[in-house]
Amino acid sequence: MSTAFQGEHLLPGQLGQFFIILSFGSALLSAISYYFATTDKTLQDNSWLKLGRIGYFVNTLSVIGIGVCLFYIIYNHLFEYHYAWAHSSRTLPVYYIISSYWEGQEGSFWLWCFWQGLLGNLLIWRAKSWEKPVMTIVALSQALLASMLIGVEIFGTRVGSSPFILLREAIPGPIFSRSDYMSFIKDGNGLNPLLQNYWMVIHPPTLFLGFASMVVPFAYAIAGLWQKRYQEWIQPAITYSLFAVMILGTGIIMGSFWAYESLNFGGFWAWDPVENASMIPWLTLIGAVHVLIVYKNTGHSYFTATFLVLISFVLVLYASFLTRSGILGETSVHAFTDLGMKWHLVIDVLIFLAITVGLLIARRKDMPITKKDEETYSREFWLFVGAIFLGLSCFHLILVTSIPVWNWIFGTKLAPPTEPVKHYNVIQASFAVVVTILTGFSQFLKYKKTDTAKFFISTGIYLFFSALIGFLIAYATGLYKLHFVFTLVMIGAVYSLLTNAKILSDAFKGKLKLAGSAVAHIGFGLILVGALIAAGTSKVVSENNSGIGFGDEFAKTSNPKENIMLYKNQPIKMGDYMVTYIGDSIAKPNHYFKVDYKKVDANGKVTEEFVLKPNSQANRKMGLVSSPDTKHYLFHDLYTHITMAPIKSDLDAAGDDEHTEEDDNKNYDAPVAHTVTVGDTIRFREGFMILKGLQKEAHVQNIPLKDKDVAVSAMLEIQSHGQTYKAQPIYMIKDGNVFDFSRKVDEAGLKLRFTKIVPEQNKFEITVYQQPESKKPYIVMRAINFPYINFFWSGTIIMVIGFLLSIFRRNQELSRTGSGKKVAYQKQHVEA
Amino acid sequence: MKKSSIIGIIVIAVAIAVIISTYSSSSTYGTFTDASKTSSPLQVVGHLVKNKELYYDATKDANYFSFYMTDNRGEECKVVFTGTKPQDFERSEQIVLTGQMQGKEFHASKILMKCPSKYTQDKVEITETKANKSANL
Repeated sequence: MSTAFQGEHLLPGQLGQFFIILSFGSALLSAISYYFATTDKTLQDNSWLKLGRIGYFVNTLSVIGIGVCLFYIIYNHLFEYHYAWAHSSRTLPVYYIISSYWEGQEGSFWLWCFWQGLLGNLLIWRAKSWEKPVMTIVALSQALLASMLIGVEIFGTRVGSSPFILLREAIPGPIFSRSDYMSFIKDGNGLNPLLQNYWMVIHPPTLFLGFASMVVPFAYAIAGLWQKRYQEWIQPAITYSLFAVMILGTGIIMGSFWAYESLNFGGFWAWDPVENASMIPWLTLIGAVHVLIVYKNTGHSYFTATFLVLISFVLVLYASFLTRSGILGETSVHAFTDLGMKWHLVIDVLIFLAITVGLLIARRKDMPITKKDEETYSREFWLFVGAIFLGLSCFHLILVTSIPVWNWIFGTKLAPPTEPVKHYNVIQASFAVVVTILTGFSQFLKYKKTDTAKFFISTGIYLFFSALIGFLIAYATGLYKLHFVFTLVMIGAVYSLLTNAKILSDAFKGKLKLAGSAVAHIGFGLILVGALIAAGTSKVVSENNSGIGFGDEFAKTSNPKENIMLYKNQPIKMGDYMVTYIGDSIAKPNHYFKVDYKKVDANGKVTEEFVLKPNSQANRKMGLVSSPDTKHYLFHDLYTHITMAPIKSDLDAAGDDEHTEEDDNKNYDAPVAHTVTVGDTIRFREGFMILKGLQKEAHVQNIPLKDKDVAVSAMLEIQSHGQTYKAQPIYMIKDGNVFDFSRKVDEAGLKLRFTKIVPEQNKFEITVYQQPESKKPYIVMRAINFPYINFFWSGTIIMVIGFLLSIFRRNQELSRTGSGKKVAYQKQHVEA
Repeated sequence: MKKSSIIGIIVIAVAIAVIISTYSSSSTYGTFTDASKTSSPLQVVGHLVKNKELYYDATKDANYFSFYMTDNRGEECKVVFTGTKPQDFERSEQIVLTGQMQGKEFHASKILMKCPSKYTQDKVEITETKANKSANL
């Protein structure tokens, strides 16, 4: 039975779904055509190649088509579509529509497809003789990605998850049997407020470009093995690997910057499984880059290089399995939920793992693996060792992050470490010690063979000074108090900085082509220095020891308490600062809390003052969602975020005015009436007020006064916590009846009424309502000081510059080798 | 011995060390009974007791939050957390606590809660109740 539903717009969805099927079909066609174009050498014409290209172009166009349809649906608020309903709302600003693309899995798969589509076109244009085999792999990967979006039932199981599924198909419910159900669905669920951040507009695209670009070195490696062009694939693979590593690294750090700027866990890296998942392939590919260069220069480490390139892409797919299958549910807060695609994702990983393993086994005899050992004092040997250690560090990350996977496979009930951050920090730092020391002294080594005496002297001198400087830094910042391994990493990072700075200065003297790696390593060293100091010695400024009433037992066992409560306009000393919650400003849906920081010197003079505006959103779906605000200094950051604030009322703002007077009085302590004359002072708990005078003929809006009516206002000046406020409550006699109009001074927590005039004594009665402590506006906040965090961010930028320089250099080499100049080692191998 | 074999041995040794250190620092999910028998921190999975008091009063102590939870065996225990009340705590489906017993209270240092996904059933109910209301008018 089919019901005719009113108000649905089915065309954009059907068109989008058509594009999905088309993109899957065309990618598959392209992969098959490229496969035959590669294998079928007998054919004289280029028909397979042409077909492959056409398939890929059609695929790219249809991927763009999918994007356009989805954008149309979200932009026009077509909530009959589940995706639009789940991830957007009418109030969502247009520029965040982009973010809502990647709140859901389907949108982020699309993003991946899109980048891979563009990269494929780049390869068709640039890859020349490599096009056929390389594009076979890229198109295959593209087909598998598209299959994730199909969302069609085949043999009773749904394959993939389509962004164009209708709300009534996605969610069962009796309402959907009504033909006019659309008239009840007025708005969507909206975008998670945490994603409503400008970093969320650029972080996911960067990250996914990084993921997508990892298919290129993989495809080259496969093509090289498949076509038995064992050496030629290395050079282009280096360039593309550098690109992938640069983009993915940038994406990861952008994510960490987003977390620092807008999440409230108080830091930039938490070893969350989702973060780890993006770092796993980065580590293996950065190892791969190093051994690829070793092979290019010396002919050593062929297998390691090939293996690391191949496994990196398999690990990208594994990472997407981890984050998208819902398997991390118990260990991560922000993994995607299960869309019933677990096995689909597993199959995706297995296909590419099978290709990798199969080819490596099939070609094991033919691979140009040297039988000769590297020289101990050669650069290639220690680069190789470095790559191995990067691989081991990655192995540890996989091992721990995958604990839920082991539980799933083996039926065990292991839980991740109780203190995961400490666990990861210590073990990963141990690997970092080795890696940083290696990035240092391998710079003094030459390929093939090095003069040992000279090497030991220069290495020794640098190591000595690094140890000295590193330890001084650790001592000055207090890092030495932590696990000793962090001091070792600091020494290693300083060592890496010094040695690479020397290489850089040499580079300026003439060996300019070495600059790229030196700059990248300097950036890496700075990242480590910044991360170590900022994370290791960050200090909670908002320590609070005022908690009372839960017994000594509680006070003893709990750590220094990190949240501090501020009543409005009541300054509190916090570390070196006097902090005051001075007010609010509301820009819907965000509620900004103005927190005033003052630094006062011994003489009571204010040396520094600034206002931070952390914000919270009382979100209907997610409760209170807070974003921090940070005061950036050159050498440290002061980070402040709200952990609790009574702002539920933001949600039902409209209802406020309807409260009756009696209701309102419940918000205050019992009133106190004061009978005073002009010039008298009335004291209250948090200050005093003076009756400055009376003003006759006060006006009250909408109430016209007649001859006999009287309206008098009392001019009160209120002093509270160093602030002065004015209020004019009104006393009125109208048509023989007495009224009064109270005035509120919310900042001071007061409500004032002018309740009586005693004409014979010339006295007036002012009734004071005070808010009890608990009803006064307050915030609970946490403030953290992050020292030297700017090293972390600037290190990232420097590292990216280093990668760019290297990419230019390798690209030049590529065009040189392409034009016929073979590098010497290649001839050697051809002869051998 | 060849250098490659030495490296091989080192790699295997480090890998084993990593596995052991991971295994030894990994914990198991336990119950409140398990927690009362040991003094080391433990992870307990369970559900919030929704009809008992959730206590958090920032005006008294901004870092004290207590509630009751039943573990997977059905044992109920009072839990004290040093910090503010996590947002949307009432709606949690499942809670993973890390901490240890202090007398009769479980003192949690970390709370990881699983809320019903934004995209699943509970939202439909809202849609439904809304729909019914307007239909009755």
